[in-house]
Amino acid sequence: MSSWRTRVVMVLVLLVGVAAFGWPFLASPDSELSQMGHSTDASFLFVALMGLMALALLAEMTSGGVDAKTVAVLGVLAAAGGSLRVLSAGTAGLEPMFFLLVVAGRVLGASLGFLLGALALLASAFLTAGVGPWTPFQMIAAGWVCLGAGLLPAATGRRERWMLTAYGLVCGLAYGVVMNLWFWPFLGDSAPAGAGFVPGGGAAVNLGHYAVFYVTTSLAWDLPRGLLTAALTLLASGSLLRALRRSLRQARFDAPVVFADPAQRSL
Amino acid sequence: MSPALHPLPRLLHPAAWWLWGVGLAVAASRTLNPFLLLLIVAVATWVVLERRELGSSNALVAFLVIGLVAIGLRIVMVTLLGGGVTGRVVLVRLPEVPLPDWTSGVRIGGPVTLEGTLFAVYQGLQLATILACLGAVNALASPRRLLRYVPATLYEIGTAVVVALTFAPQLVEDAQRVRTARRLRGHSSRSLAELGRIAVPVLVGALERSLDLAASMESRGYGRAVRRTARSTRLAGVLTLVGVGGVVVGLYGLLDGTSPLLLGMPTLALGVACAAAALLVGARRDPRTHYRRDPWGLSEWLVAAAGVVPAVVMIVAGTRHWDGIVPQQVPVELPAVPLVLVAAILVGATAAWTAPVPPLLARSRVARTTSAQRELVAS
Amino acid sequence: MIVFDDVSIAYDEQPVLTGADVVLEEGELTLVVGPTGSGKSTLLRAINGLVPHFSGGTLHGKVTVDGRDTRTHRPRDLADVVGFVLQDPVASFVTDTVEEELAYGMEALGVDATAMRRRVEETLDLLGLADVRSRPLRSLSGGQQQRVAIGAVLASGPRILVLDEPTSALDPVAAEDVLASLHRLVHDLGLTVVVAEHRLERVIHHADRVLLIQDGRVSALLDPAEAMVASTIYPPVIGLGRHLGWSPLPLSVRDARRRAGDLRASLEGVATAVAPTLAAAPVATAAGLVVRRGGEPVLRGIDLAVRPGEVVAVMGRNGAGKSTLLGSLVGQHAPVAGSVRIGHADHEIDPARARPAEIVRRAGMVPQDPISILYTDSVDEECRAADRDFRLPAGTTRAVLDRIAPGLDDDQHPRELSEGQRLSLALSLILASEPEVVLLDEPTRGLDYQAKRRLVGLLRDLAGRGHAILLATHDVELAAEVATRVMVLAEGEVVADGPAADVLAGSPAYAPQVAKILHPLRLLTVDEVVAAEGAAS
Repeated sequence: MSSWRTRVVMVLVLLVGVAAFGWPFLASPDSELSQMGHSTDASFLFVALMGLMALALLAEMTSGGVDAKTVAVLGVLAAAGGSLRVLSAGTAGLEPMFFLLVVAGRVLGASLGFLLGALALLASAFLTAGVGPWTPFQMIAAGWVCLGAGLLPAATGRRERWMLTAYGLVCGLAYGVVMNLWFWPFLGDSAPAGAGFVPGGGAAVNLGHYAVFYVTTSLAWDLPRGLLTAALTLLASGSLLRALRRSLRQARFDAPVVFADPAQRSL
Repeated sequence: MSPALHPLPRLLHPAAWWLWGVGLAVAASRTLNPFLLLLIVAVATWVVLERRELGSSNALVAFLVIGLVAIGLRIVMVTLLGGGVTGRVVLVRLPEVPLPDWTSGVRIGGPVTLEGTLFAVYQGLQLATILACLGAVNALASPRRLLRYVPATLYEIGTAVVVALTFAPQLVEDAQRVRTARRLRGHSSRSLAELGRIAVPVLVGALERSLDLAASMESRGYGRAVRRTARSTRLAGVLTLVGVGGVVVGLYGLLDGTSPLLLGMPTLALGVACAAAALLVGARRDPRTHYRRDPWGLSEWLVAAAGVVPAVVMIVAGTRHWDGIVPQQVPVELPAVPLVLVAAILVGATAAWTAPVPPLLARSRVARTTSAQRELVAS
Repeated sequence: MIVFDDVSIAYDEQPVLTGADVVLEEGELTLVVGPTGSGKSTLLRAINGLVPHFSGGTLHGKVTVDGRDTRTHRPRDLADVVGFVLQDPVASFVTDTVEEELAYGMEALGVDATAMRRRVEETLDLLGLADVRSRPLRSLSGGQQQRVAIGAVLASGPRILVLDEPTSALDPVAAEDVLASLHRLVHDLGLTVVVAEHRLERVIHHADRVLLIQDGRVSALLDPAEAMVASTIYPPVIGLGRHLGWSPLPLSVRDARRRAGDLRASLEGVATAVAPTLAAAPVATAAGLVVRRGGEPVLRGIDLAVRPGEVVAVMGRNGAGKSTLLGSLVGQHAPVAGSVRIGHADHEIDPARARPAEIVRRAGMVPQDPISILYTDSVDEECRAADRDFRLPAGTTRAVLDRIAPGLDDDQHPRELSEGQRLSLALSLILASEPEVVLLDEPTRGLDYQAKRRLVGLLRDLAGRGHAILLATHDVELAAEVATRVMVLAEGEVVADGPAADVLAGSPAYAPQVAKILHPLRLLTVDEVVAAEGAAS
């Protein structure tokens, strides 16, 4: 699953993602995209593009075939993530789902983690009948959250717990920052004064505007999410990490399969 | 009447509904005219009322509520923080909070203009309309029905999602069971740590069961069909690589003003084509078969067309800057309502007749008419 | 059809099966009999190659199925030859409606669409599922779910069906339902069927051949009656036959009854021991109890009083309100009308209003799935957590555990324990706080005969120590062994309540095997027959 090709595709999709989320800052004033930005065409372009990229990446990651155990484990963890999101839908962005994604991503490692994040989001969208243009963005962003947890440096015990806690806090906030970005340009002229997207305005202006927009409108939602994720991780990640690791060990993903002749039996 | 116009009760192909819904959403995204937008919402609602299968989730209601909240939030935001539209008609003047210089351009409070507020309403309404279209299509064709049509290249992903959807309700039940069970050991707290303690047994139990599931899938032939030869895998891989690479280069071209035009849209389109081709190449040799696929018949064509027509007409109208597409901001005036556009949107409503009635709904309607007839006979 | 050629299987150098050398013929129903952990599942899973392809491990020797060697054929390559059905049907479902589940395997095998449609229809009829074809799997009853699981593997057209404890988790009615379907598959279609099952009384008379497994050693193919002579586990009907030295052993109640004419005559008129009437004040009472769940009344006016030293078995169909009644006694469901009190008169409380910490001192319940009250990583930690939970001196729980299940390893993970050990652990956690009332919901689910025998001893001991015990169970043999009183619920009402012998002996649905054989005598168990014989001579 982690052939060089998959990694290259992953990095390229990451770049597309950066462009899809960050184009308001990256587009130079006289570029084609800035021209498009005057209408909302650029946003639509990226919605379609991200959908395709998400599918292409998932197809590439699974092109070598995925065995039944992996599919079942991914499915179950995605179900857990998805139902946590459904259960906590009413709590103003407090999504304990992130807690699970961080811990499970840590246990599964980067590439399976990415799949898990994307699948969990997709499953929750299906569960709530909430499929929309935001779905591919969320899938990729959640995939990154899990992937990042898998890439964190090796640590054990208390250090690992604090590391994941910090990561949970950062993720809760960063996810909000990134996810608000995709619809910010949609706001157009109804964004607050001095906080709206200025097509062709350049990176500095738009970054400043976005920062203002984020702080005034979204921080109040995202900060509790980050804090909740962090608190949950601090309190419960230890036992969950142990339990998940044990379950995966028991699944015997790479158990050696040996066939021997009866004659060779040593009794 | 011909049978094609009165199809037997069945579920319409989900892809047809999604084409219809996305078409309407695209149409809504092209205009800010409140009358046209409200008309689209009305059309979407009407079709849902006529053709939603009994017992399926009514996502439309939730999406409409979110849409209303979106409109409200915009009004509040424009009122408190001002907006990009500087109007002349001041409705109220809120006390303005003095801010230091470095916050360049940001203001809190100050005059609230009619033009600014109206514009916020229009834009909020546009978002709400797009949401309503998506809610309608989520209600008409549950997205999980689409899962049966994922290309074979995404077979594993599709299976994992199906597994997730099957397991999710069980997990919720498990969590409730573990919660009750914890009371048996004298615990009654509702703290965060408690949430974690419930999560562990639920997850571990679910993972144990997932091994049973995997054994069952393995014994029933999951992954047996070799649907990719080494060659097609390689070809699909190269196409993906070229495709995604092309998209990255194309985006760079679009972002950077100084690059040659060829580097922009054309490269992007090429990349998209390659990536899409990669999804299909791997699927070509899929020996799996499908149980009772929904047929694609005349009804599907008609419903899809009912979504595509308004989208195309609105896009054309938008690029030609017809009257009434974008209402004038300053000064405020009643937007014109061009009949051509109204007619185009009403084409979307034809789905309420051209789509077959879903089976359960049809049965309940028959039951209702027969009982009404019986009452008539009785009286 | 299935050939085990000197097969031994080991996981991580630990042998679980040694020297299996068996040939299973086509068209026979073979029953695999052995205690928990004897290697039954491993043997079954080796038939379609799940062992070792899926589980890992080392396989010596050769398993051939319909001429295909499992070395070269993975389980998925055998899907059209062997259908494998797991114990828990719900865990084996991939999709969520009946039809889709039946079609899933055929889609993977690439059966063409018209043939697939035909086979789904045939399978629906064969297993009597046509009425529920478009229902969500979760809304089906246990028996229907297990039939769907069988249909789902059968639809691909295998000639061999392997079932790992298909009825262990089912109530008697659902189990009968599933076994009747199996019987039909063997007799009408000539399928080769291999079944492992704890509850021999349900299946032994369906079997053509029996394989005994003990500690990984597999016997030769035996005739069922022959096998039961030597088997360490056997149903009561065999127990009676063995006690009386009948040969050949009768396997069914009908056969045993025909042989038991003399016994019945000799025991006629022998007075059976009458359970002493208990005078102590009740420690759990319900009066006119009405409970609703999800708007539906589940209990409609239940009156109940349980005294110390009593063992009350609550019986009835699924959905009759058994679990709800137990739940109400520990405050899980608030009554709509009527009252519930637990504890001695001097400190009785209403569980619906009390805090969980107060309830556990008066009434402790082991839920249907004991693992759901175990959360930690080891037996030792679990005991210490219980001491903390109930504010007991350190070591109390461990002492209780050592009394009821000596020799449990401190470091063992609760999930790695056998069903019986888990039940003992859960029970000792509950008993640690010395509750006056002990409630058990379906305690014998998944237990083999030995574990069940230990449970019976344990429950008698607890009753002797003055605990009041309330069991919700489908297991008539358990009720016959331990219950002093039996209460039958139907649709939320009490339809029978009285001494166990009165209620059980006369009932066609709830009579244990011995009572059926000796009807109209009021003897419920082999032990009672032995005692009566002693009294008669």
